[in-house]
Amino acid sequence: MLSLPGATPFEVIGLWIVLLIAFLGLAYALFLRKQVLAYDKGTEKMQDVWNGIRLGANAYLKRQLKTIVPLILVFTIILFLSVYVVPPSDEAKLRFAGYPDQTLKLIMGFGRAIAFVMGSVFSLMVGQFGMRMAVQANVRVASASRRSFGEALKIAYRAGTVTGMLTDGLGLLGGTAIFLIFGVASPDTLLGFGFGGTLLALFMRVGGGIYTKAADVGADLVGKVEAGLPEDDERNAAVIADLVGDNVGDCAGMAADIFESYEVTIVSTLILGVALFTHTHELSWIIFPLMVRGIGVFSSVIGTYLVKVNKNSESHNALSAINKGFYSSAAISVILFGIVSHFYLHDWRSFLSVVVGIILAISLDEITKRFTDGKFRPVREIAKNSKTGSATLLLKGLSYGFEAAVWQTLVIALTIFASIMIYHGMPVTYVLYGVAMTGIGMLTLTGNNVAMDAFGPIADNANGIGELSHLDKESRKIMDALDATGNTTKAITKGVAIGSAVIAAVSLFGSFITDVSKVQIQAGLDQAASLLGTGIRISVPMIFVGFLIGGVIPWLFSSLTINAVTRAAAQIVDEVRRQFRIPGVLEWKVKPDYQNAVDICTKSAQRELIPLALIGVLSPICVGALLGVEALGGFLAGVILSGQMLAVFMSTSGGAWDNAKKTIEDGLYGGKGSEAHKAAVVGDTVGDPLKDTAGPALNPMIKVINMVSLLCAPVLVVYQMPGQSQAGMITSGFFCIAIIVGSIMFSKRGGFKKQPFES
Amino acid sequence: MSKYIYLTCTPEALVASMLPPEGFGMYLSTGTKKRNKGQVIFFEVDLSKIENLIDMDSLNKRCVAKEDGSPKSSVYLSVYRVLETIPVSALKSLYLTADNGCILELKKADYNKSQEPQNALHLYQELCPVTPLVASGLPPSVFLKRLTDGSTSIVLPKLFFVELKLGELSTNPLNGSAEQIPYSNVGHLRDCLEILKGEYEKHMKTVQRVFSGLLLYRTIETGFYVGAKEEIAFYPYPTMSELENINYEFFRAI
Repeated sequence: MLSLPGATPFEVIGLWIVLLIAFLGLAYALFLRKQVLAYDKGTEKMQDVWNGIRLGANAYLKRQLKTIVPLILVFTIILFLSVYVVPPSDEAKLRFAGYPDQTLKLIMGFGRAIAFVMGSVFSLMVGQFGMRMAVQANVRVASASRRSFGEALKIAYRAGTVTGMLTDGLGLLGGTAIFLIFGVASPDTLLGFGFGGTLLALFMRVGGGIYTKAADVGADLVGKVEAGLPEDDERNAAVIADLVGDNVGDCAGMAADIFESYEVTIVSTLILGVALFTHTHELSWIIFPLMVRGIGVFSSVIGTYLVKVNKNSESHNALSAINKGFYSSAAISVILFGIVSHFYLHDWRSFLSVVVGIILAISLDEITKRFTDGKFRPVREIAKNSKTGSATLLLKGLSYGFEAAVWQTLVIALTIFASIMIYHGMPVTYVLYGVAMTGIGMLTLTGNNVAMDAFGPIADNANGIGELSHLDKESRKIMDALDATGNTTKAITKGVAIGSAVIAAVSLFGSFITDVSKVQIQAGLDQAASLLGTGIRISVPMIFVGFLIGGVIPWLFSSLTINAVTRAAAQIVDEVRRQFRIPGVLEWKVKPDYQNAVDICTKSAQRELIPLALIGVLSPICVGALLGVEALGGFLAGVILSGQMLAVFMSTSGGAWDNAKKTIEDGLYGGKGSEAHKAAVVGDTVGDPLKDTAGPALNPMIKVINMVSLLCAPVLVVYQMPGQSQAGMITSGFFCIAIIVGSIMFSKRGGFKKQPFES
Repeated sequence: MSKYIYLTCTPEALVASMLPPEGFGMYLSTGTKKRNKGQVIFFEVDLSKIENLIDMDSLNKRCVAKEDGSPKSSVYLSVYRVLETIPVSALKSLYLTADNGCILELKKADYNKSQEPQNALHLYQELCPVTPLVASGLPPSVFLKRLTDGSTSIVLPKLFFVELKLGELSTNPLNGSAEQIPYSNVGHLRDCLEILKGEYEKHMKTVQRVFSGLLLYRTIETGFYVGAKEEIAFYPYPTMSELENINYEFFRAI
């Protein structure tokens, strides 16, 4: 089974080494986990607070599993049966030559179904294990802050690295194992792997986003604004839900999101690599991306281990230590890529594409930082506008959000242009492969990026535990410094997540065109008449209609997610107000019932998952079935363009408003309580669901739509060939429309029953 | 349990309590069943120096522990013209509380009148018994004396006020940067300061007639002043970096 026809010994050994590196990454995660768990959990009071967070997190994870598992089962069956609708590809026939047709279908059906389960489970593991690790770490960070800054930083970052290395290790393991088993037939099964990861990421991102902001906005509106309680006050019934939400959104959601991009880029690169392999018969198109991934994991292991400061360091500069690790990993990767390119590929084009990807990641980091960091002009100006009220503050934030979308889109356009230049004069498949390699390069440092991101909620929660357990001044200073660094790293990785989603989607878009053309040619169409030959011409009215519909999908998605947050936050507001009225709660005599708020957030988050997932999955099927596969291409272009800009805009504006508020709280314009601060709080509250729910939810949505399009494209091509009856297509298209409309109504009302206007 | 006497300044009241200053500040700012919220500024008063001013029997009868043994939070002794009756010498530390109940103690310090800047403009928030925001060309001790010595038509028996930051406006009201000035209607403030700078006969100008009830602690310039005529008690306010070291909780809360 594990043979690669045509592979040189170097390639076979190389692939096994890559697989070993995947295990090395996972072993490193286990090693770090053991290290983190060896630290103490602090005082009884700290453990008491922590238990609340732990129980809330467990409740969420349990309920999430209950919602997701049935869907995984349904899709597993669908994917298994899909081989009976569209027969296995020519590459599959080549790889499993000699097997009868029925056996081949069974192999590929099982392969795709198992790959889907693997993708889903891996994504779930990254999110769930990562979140559990974060919860285990936060109390230990709080406890270590009583001893030294260096120790607290080490625990927080290493716990984040556990999630990072899980993302790296499992992503690499899945892709490499599938390739080792299926060889050139791997795209058939990799689609299942990618779809599994993508769908789960959508669930975790959307659920996490709604949970975290419902709890945060609800807790702030009543606790801070109405009752004047400080952040993380134990009398606030939503305080534990808020702390759990930080893990759910920024740890589980973000890790699953990046894992998905990590998977999807390798899927699309291998699909394009196989397409090039059929022309050139060179396996390097497929093996080099896997080697690049292996190098990335290896360099992340080294880079993340370098992140530490002297135990007795007086300086609380965590960011420079984290950056040291990041840039070390980047340098090691580039050197090793160069060596492999020189001695294996004897060609620098793929190397250049990967380096462009790394430059893209760094550029997106910088753009995000420029627009959202309090040290730079945009946030300063937004803060300054708070002096004239919330309206001007909001307008300034909107303006910078729009501008950030321009710069990020231009940088991505430039990256794609660089691929065109690198593969100048070559057919379009090479250029698309170059774009996919850029995505591979961009996600080289996934381990570091996810570690940086997961570090945020760990530090944030540790600070919350410190506040609730009344730790001493020095410990609070240490945790404040870590928390502030976590806010910056979270914002930076958001930029990378969006950028990687777009590059992954563009790669998938490339794979879509290649795949559709392949099936069209297999079905008897001329090369020139295939999608690769004609291209997706926006001047064709039907394609333009698809383009327009694709453009509105991210807006619909954002509208529904923000609506869901607003509704859930209102429920939290009511709950916290109700508990404030319980005699003794405000006097610290009676402990609030934290579980109620946790339950409200958990239920609200899970309730929204199914309708939103249905919109993501069914909208491309609907467009493809009713308007045709070419219009579906236009639809994808619309989704990518509009989704990317909207995601950047929302994340940037929200991040900038948040940091403008923090700048004022640090003493600008009178500090807390001033009119400027009140205006900034409005901006922050408006920005919260934009930056943490709607914006991030667009990343997996873009990829889910692309993935579903890739999966259903062969069916559409086969059943829309001239002479085929269109009745089935039209019926299924309208059926999808009915379900989408039902989902929208369900989501807007918050259930099947109409909710009263006032709660 | 000990008894404490507090003079709260926003609004003015003399209150007895069994809570120490930290507990009393927390109680007043975050409340209990009344669900109060908001900052409070109060002095601790030396009971031995005002025994002749209050009904001690009534105090001893009313200010006792509750049935469940918990301390009595507040017994209001007087709510009208309190400051003027309490001697300055009876005022102990001044306490500021943030919205969330965090408390900062300011101790009385010697005040050196000779070090007052002579040619700068000042902004004073009067806190008790009246509460306008006043711009003035007079340094704190002269300002206090002028309002309490009967030399003008408006006379106060005693005054408690705080000096607020003016930044560059203190020397250049028209063109100085107001970047960090968080007060509402800065244009009007500039006008008031400009008038004071130009007219040597005019020493004070009301910027805002009524106190909003919220003192932005980060805008305090030198500190708090209380007294009448020549008698002045000064409560210096630390710089932000000093405050970060002295009382980190309070620093975070403001």
